[in-house]
Amino acid sequence: MPGGYTGLFLTVDLISGKISRFVLEEEFFRLHIGGSAVAARLFLDGFPLDCDPLSGANPLIISTGPMTGSAFPGTSRFSVCARSPLTGIWGESACGGTFGPELKRAGYDGLIITGRAPFPCYLRIEDGAAEIIEASEIWGKDIYETTDLLWSKHRSCRVLAIGPAGENLVRFASIGNDKGHFAGRTGLGAVMGAKNLKAIAVKGTGHPEKADKEGFKQALRSAAEEIRSSAFAGSLHAMGSDAGMDLGMMTGDVPIRNWTVGEDYDLSAALGGPALTEKYLVKAHACTHCPIACKRVVRVAEGPYRTEEGPGPEYETCCTFGTMIMNYDLAGVIKANELCNRYGMDTISCGSTVAMAMELFEKGLLSGRDTEGLDMAWGNMPAVFTLLGKIARREGFGGLLAEGSARAAERLGSAAAEASVHVKGLELPMHDPRAFHGMGLAYMVSNRGGCHLQHAVMGTEQGMVSWPQVFTMKDSYTGPESEDKAALVFHSENFGILGNSLAICHYVLYSLKPETVLKAFNVITGFGFGFSDLMVCGTRDWMLKRGINNLLGVTSRNDALPKRIMTALTEGAAAGSVPDTKKLLSEYYALRGLDKQGIPKEDRLRELGLDALNRRLAAVRAAEPVAKEEMKWQN
Amino acid sequence: MAKLKAFTQEWMNAFRRRIADSKEYREIAGNWEGSVSIIINPDPARGVPETVYLFTDYWHGDVKDFLVCDKAKAESADFIMSGDYIRWKQIARKEIEATKALMQGKLKLKGNLVYVVRNVKTVNKVVDLLGEVDTLFPDD
Ligand code: SF4
Repeated sequence: MPGGYTGLFLTVDLISGKISRFVLEEEFFRLHIGGSAVAARLFLDGFPLDCDPLSGANPLIISTGPMTGSAFPGTSRFSVCARSPLTGIWGESACGGTFGPELKRAGYDGLIITGRAPFPCYLRIEDGAAEIIEASEIWGKDIYETTDLLWSKHRSCRVLAIGPAGENLVRFASIGNDKGHFAGRTGLGAVMGAKNLKAIAVKGTGHPEKADKEGFKQALRSAAEEIRSSAFAGSLHAMGSDAGMDLGMMTGDVPIRNWTVGEDYDLSAALGGPALTEKYLVKAHACTHCPIACKRVVRVAEGPYRTEEGPGPEYETCCTFGTMIMNYDLAGVIKANELCNRYGMDTISCGSTVAMAMELFEKGLLSGRDTEGLDMAWGNMPAVFTLLGKIARREGFGGLLAEGSARAAERLGSAAAEASVHVKGLELPMHDPRAFHGMGLAYMVSNRGGCHLQHAVMGTEQGMVSWPQVFTMKDSYTGPESEDKAALVFHSENFGILGNSLAICHYVLYSLKPETVLKAFNVITGFGFGFSDLMVCGTRDWMLKRGINNLLGVTSRNDALPKRIMTALTEGAAAGSVPDTKKLLSEYYALRGLDKQGIPKEDRLRELGLDALNRRLAAVRAAEPVAKEEMKWQN
Repeated sequence: MAKLKAFTQEWMNAFRRRIADSKEYREIAGNWEGSVSIIINPDPARGVPETVYLFTDYWHGDVKDFLVCDKAKAESADFIMSGDYIRWKQIARKEIEATKALMQGKLKLKGNLVYVVRNVKTVNKVVDLLGEVDTLFPDD
């Protein structure tokens, strides 16, 4: 087996209780590398794609990459994958923290969990051995309580757990790792809940091999030096991901009042990285082996929103529970973040859904009767805190919002649709495509719905990185312009998507020279890849996931931006600008090799060795492009 | 008016005037206090034989000293920005934004990052005004 891999996947059938292992060979890893790319291939080859996402038939696949646990900076990552209960298409969520390296130390590259256990349970893995354990004692507990209980039961284990939201099948339920790291997007916590699987506790003492240990030490030294001298890494260390809000307000990147306002400097002054650092930061915190330590440990010591010391909000959360809902009180964001962490809910989807509810309340499309007396006025944080509990428990009005903004809006009638700002059912991350047209294209074609992490477009378009040695790009791009962006997105996808297969954090990727990352990958695996080999793997990964989505009913009509984003703002840096979606998509389709229906062309798939996918897509290519029932609410 | 030779005291005076005369700068820089030095690495091939040290000082919307200085003075500033000549020229010509150059490692910054981020609007305005000085660069 090449370095970086154990070659072993653990399979757990929760119905029969059968636990087994299978081996993946080097050839397979040379094609798909790891992480969500490996998971996508396993999903495509081994499972009924159109399974009900909230049934036992939907496999939960957890997959590490060859760099996971290698001690190279930013490589604690692993991907959780399944068909998404939120979007109905391919779902994946990458997470840093501690679980990935520990799983590798326990002897596994990944896990596949199928079926639904007859009783609430958790899975315990220790150095190769695995057992399913009854979990009535922790069922109903929040993620922090669950983690504490498992830590006390199984000394020095690493925990992956869901909270009440996952148990109650909230469609944007998250999964928490050791209370500080979250696989948030696409609702995979609900997939665990649907399996009656409360948690996974893992412990390992092994050490994954490296092909060239001396070379690895050199790569580590280069990385440490590059991170030390990187202003990007320095600002993340000092202020966390929220470091970007002040600049984002200037460039028009920050969404305000559910994407309807172009700028508000009082919001960024109140909610940005400097405010978080000066008022609430206790200390910086890191995923395993990461010198950047962008995570925040915060505490609100006094006032109505007091919190214990715990994980602080990221930039995205400072927007969804701050700028998006017109809350100027950072303590309120911290409190909402803590509640989402405990209940186990994705702060992007959840906060965006709350923002939608506030807009509909203001417009009279939701009344006090609908909200069961909750005053959903903009910025009313006590109402938000109450609502978060109702969502997690699916109580009354909370049950409607637990469906996610797209489904909830559909139930509230066509007038509500505009307030749900999503692509393919996934609420948009907090970067405004009107300010950065490339990001708009990236949202439209991202394989998990509107996403800023399935590619490196944020880094390349906003100028955090310049990678002319990897692919052709200009020195600098103008945000609110569509010219030259299709090629930028195409290449930034093929390279950036590797973050989820190599298993390296995007922030670290942006802080290092790409040559250093490539070297680390090669000395770990011994693959001897060049950038072009990596880009082919990235392309294959993208096509594989697109093919899965096509088989699930996605066509070109789903590659669209919501009406709200196609409405120009009247103030701020992006005023008057909307992405030229027609131009962007036609240029991108040509580069990517998609036909008019948005399906990969046969020759492209053949070049990538994806012949089986080609055969399965033949029927889709021949069919009339009719939207499947579950796609009907998608844009 | 004739272009001013870059990195001369005359050029620094013009830069200072631009900022002092800017109503917009005065409005947004109310919170900024502190000196910023600019260190330009030598590039003999492009007509910059030695390191250039520049010192600028700002006080709540006002401007104080703007000097061509020596190493010791430059290193005494609250914030020190350093980089290759060609990068500074690109920034002055507005071919690349200073924040992007910083993030990409083309410029280095020493000083309190939190303070800089909090005042990023002020920093960008200063760089913007630098670009308005009609400049003759050594390799023009
Ligand atoms: S930069 Fe932050 S998120 Fe990324 S690995 Fe380091 S600590 Fe984790």
